[in-house]
Order: sequence, then structure tokens, then C-alpha cells
Amino acid sequence: MLKIQNLSKFYGDRQVLKDINLHIPAGEIYGLLGRNGAGKTTIINIICNLITPDSGIISIDNLPLGITTKALIGIVPQDNLLYENLTCEENLDFFATIYSLRGQRKQQRIKKCLESVNLGDRAKSLVGTLSGGMKRRMNMAIALVHEPKLVILDEPTTGLDIEARYQIWELINQLRYQGITLLLTTHLLEEAERLCQRIGILKDGQLLIEGNLAELRTVIPAAAILIMDTPTAEIAIARGQSLGFSHHRYGHDLAFWLPEQKSLQEVVSLFAGITIDSISVQPVRLENIYVELTRERLEPAIATSPSLINIMG
Amino acid sequence: MKYWYETIAIARRILTELVRQQRTLILWIIFPISMLLLNGFILAEGSKITTTEAFKIATPSTLVGAALFFSSLGGTISTIVAERESKTIKRLFISPLAGISYFLGIFCAYACVGIGQSLLVYAIAAMFGVKFAGSWLLGIIVIFCSIGSYVGMGFFLGTQFARRTEDVNSLVAGFGVPLLILGGAFVPTSFLPKELLLITQFNPIYHMNEALLGISYNAKDLSDYDLRLHFLFLVGFLLVSLASGWLAYRRMLATERRL
Repeated sequence: MLKIQNLSKFYGDRQVLKDINLHIPAGEIYGLLGRNGAGKTTIINIICNLITPDSGIISIDNLPLGITTKALIGIVPQDNLLYENLTCEENLDFFATIYSLRGQRKQQRIKKCLESVNLGDRAKSLVGTLSGGMKRRMNMAIALVHEPKLVILDEPTTGLDIEARYQIWELINQLRYQGITLLLTTHLLEEAERLCQRIGILKDGQLLIEGNLAELRTVIPAAAILIMDTPTAEIAIARGQSLGFSHHRYGHDLAFWLPEQKSLQEVVSLFAGITIDSISVQPVRLENIYVELTRERLEPAIATSPSLINIMG
Repeated sequence: MKYWYETIAIARRILTELVRQQRTLILWIIFPISMLLLNGFILAEGSKITTTEAFKIATPSTLVGAALFFSSLGGTISTIVAERESKTIKRLFISPLAGISYFLGIFCAYACVGIGQSLLVYAIAAMFGVKFAGSWLLGIIVIFCSIGSYVGMGFFLGTQFARRTEDVNSLVAGFGVPLLILGGAFVPTSFLPKELLLITQFNPIYHMNEALLGISYNAKDLSDYDLRLHFLFLVGFLLVSLASGWLAYRRMLATERRL
């Protein structure tokens, strides 16, 4: 559905995208992760034909990027870009007309979109009177009104409470079941883990790695991760090293990579005699992979599998 | 047909928002009426002429100055600023909406407001015995040229100089009020000193005012040299404001067209 080949972009002398290659097949949810300034929004701007790349080829549904592909894309921007003095129905009607929907079909799409985002009973309500979660769903409805084949969701749940977040996640899954291709950018790694079939991680304009979660897990040479809270971190690190566990810091947490799966009882016995406030063993999560790949360091902490890396050469 | 539907969608959206807000529309009704009454009575008293004569002179200047200026120019700037502040303009950038439809949509919306104001101002004037005796067609052309010029200038000022709501006030006041006074919208230009009269020759509002004044009561066509000059100046200004508005819009697209 979406094919990006050798995409590069400069802002002045600064290269913001470096030879990006990406292919998202139809009906897949692809998560694009990266810190602020990594290049996610620049990729979206290019896909939306808002800015032109310096090199590279992009096609959507086998059509080269251009005016014609605008109608194939639906965007759910970070901000709720809605006319607050218009009703939900009027907002959809306006955008449906802009996207060349007419007559009966337009009315059907408006009704269907409102129902699909659970705002059918708020059709006549002014958008300004909706709650934050409702506005976000309305934002999605506008992106869907013209039946796009590719939907780009730019941090769709940022700032929402957990209930509203669940509703958006459900909606995103429904879209996937309808065969729509979705490109999702988010800072919520749990969101990416839950929703995406494949994930790509961007850093400084480069796609460092991409694959499904199982493939990404191979990046960290550990079967599980031990997280520990202890007032005697130095002693714990020394013990870990003597056991062959490499130690890492995830925020304030002290973590050890366990080369093989161990039960909590086994781990506690291995660290016997050390004061421990809390301890847990958890599988390798996207958060661990993301932090390892994107943290600033002089040398990479991990050797990434060449098959997963998008950096050529 | 694409442009037609898009234009109508934009115009309908602006008008729906205006009707829903009400305040702005009410003020756009009250302001020209009060200005017409003030202008008419002050002129009658100051120039020792009949009320009908005074209202005859005051009506065109009130329409192009107090009514169309604030609705078409101020309204266009407000529309663009509101789109920028709420960032809905980004949604329009993403969509297949054509720039020409966006311009025409804004023009149509404020043309509807302008037509309403024209009917209102002339209806009030008729109550004081003023009769429109000129060419209807030329009158309508002058009103539409004035609205088009204001919308074009609104595009230029709105895209280049107005980023926040407060900018609308300062722009309209700083740019507009001196032009309105020099154009004879609030006081007849005959009251102005000679030096300022020279400046008025380059003021488009003066030419709108004079063209509409001539066409409203005397001229059936453009055979009069002075009237033809005012009319041609107005058409020239319309073209300049449309071109500058379009270029300013393209510049805004180049700098702001991204998420």
C-alpha cells in the first residue's frame, strides 16, 4: 500500500531524513517510533504531499505521490483540527464536500462515520461542547469520511485519559479489520505494542530497525529482564556481574539482562544477602529495545541484527 | 464543478459560523446604520443642506467605508486568523481543496454579507427620501469590485501580518481608519485640506466612494470622464489586491504548509 524508497530530506544543510526505506502492506498497522525531532512528522508531511523530498520515491496504492493520492490518505493529526462552532454533522459535511463526496453517498458516509466513532447521538452537537475524548474521535471521523485507503495517526491518544485511550485503540483495530492500512506514530510504547503488527524506530532521520515485536526482541540478547530497586546498587551490580548478567539503567530502575528465563524465586536466591526493596522479572519489552536503540551514547550498547536494520552499508 | 462545490462549502461554513456566533453579524448591522445616521445628520447640519441631500451623499460612503470595509476586509482577515489559530487551515492544506476555491468561498461569504448590508443601508436611506436613480448594473459592479478588493487585501494582510486575533484589530485600525477618513467614508472629502485632497487621489476607498456616489444618483453609464476615472481606478485596485492576495496566499502555503 505505502512504499517509500531511499527517501532523503534536507532542511538547509541539516539532513533530517537519511535514505528511508519502508513498505507497509495493505491492512497492516505500522508503528513509527522515535524521539521528537527524529523525522516522524517530516515523513508524514512528505506522504501528505505538503513538502517535497530531496530524493526518493513514494507510492500509495501503486500511484506516485501527488494531488491524486491526497484523496487516498486520511490524517488524524495530533491536535483536534475541528470547527468548534459547527456541529459534528456539519464538520463532516464540510470535509466530505471538500473530498468530492456528493448527495446520498455523502450522507451515508457522514452517518456511518459518526456511528463508527460512537458519536451518532451527538450529530447535532456543536463540536465545542464535546469532551476531549469525543473531539479526538471526531478528529478520526473526519479523517475517515472520504474512505481513505491509508490512515495516518499522529500520536492519536496523547493527552487522553485511559478510558478514552481504550476507545481510540478499539477504533484503530476496527479500521484494520476493515482492511485500512494504518501508519501510527506514538510516544506511548504500550500503544505500539498493543496495536502494531510491525514497528520501525527512527533516530536522527535514520530508520534504525524495523520488524514485528518478536523480531525486535532479538535485538536484546536476553531471555528476560530483571528490574530491581535497591539502596545498595553497587553491591547488586557486582553480584550481577559475577553471575554474568549485564546491568542497565532504565530511568531510575536498575535492570539486569538475564541470558535465560528464570523464576522470581531463583532470582531472589541469586541476590540473597542484598537489601532489595522491590524486584520483578519481565519479558523483553518494546520499551527496553527502544531505550537501548535511541539513547545517546558514544558506542552502541547492543549489536543489532543486520537483517532488521535498514541502514545500508 | 469541483471548484463550485468547494467554493460553496467554504462560503456556507463561514456563514454558518457567523450566524451561530450572531454577535459579529449584529455589529455589522448596527455599525453601518449608526454611521449612516450620524453622517447624514452631521452633514445636513454642517453643510446646511436638506436631510435627503445629506443622506444622498452619506449613503455610498457609509456603504463602502463603514459597512463593506469592516465586513469584507476585517471579516477576511478574521477568517484567516481564526483558521490559523485553530490550526484548521492545516486540515485544508492536507485536503484536495484548491486555493482558488478557498478565495472564492471567502469572497462569496462576504459578498452575501455585503449584499445584505447594501440593501440595509439603501433601505434606511430610502426612509429619508433618497432614491436610487442611477444604473443598477454599474452599482452592483462597483459594490462587487469593492468587496473583491477588500477580500483580496484581507488575504494579503491576513496571511502576511495577522497571526493572532489581536492583530485583526490593530491591522484594521492602523491600516484602515486613516484610509477611510481620507476616502471620505466618515467626513466628505470636501472638508479635507488641499494637501490631504491630493493624497485622496491615490486612495482606493475615495474612488470606490466617488464611483458609487456618481452611479447611485446621476450616471446611467460611464460617459462622464471623472466617473470613468474612478471606476477604472477601482478596477485597477481590484486587480492589484487580487494579485497581491494571491501571491501572499502562495507565500503562506510555502512557509506554513506542514503539520
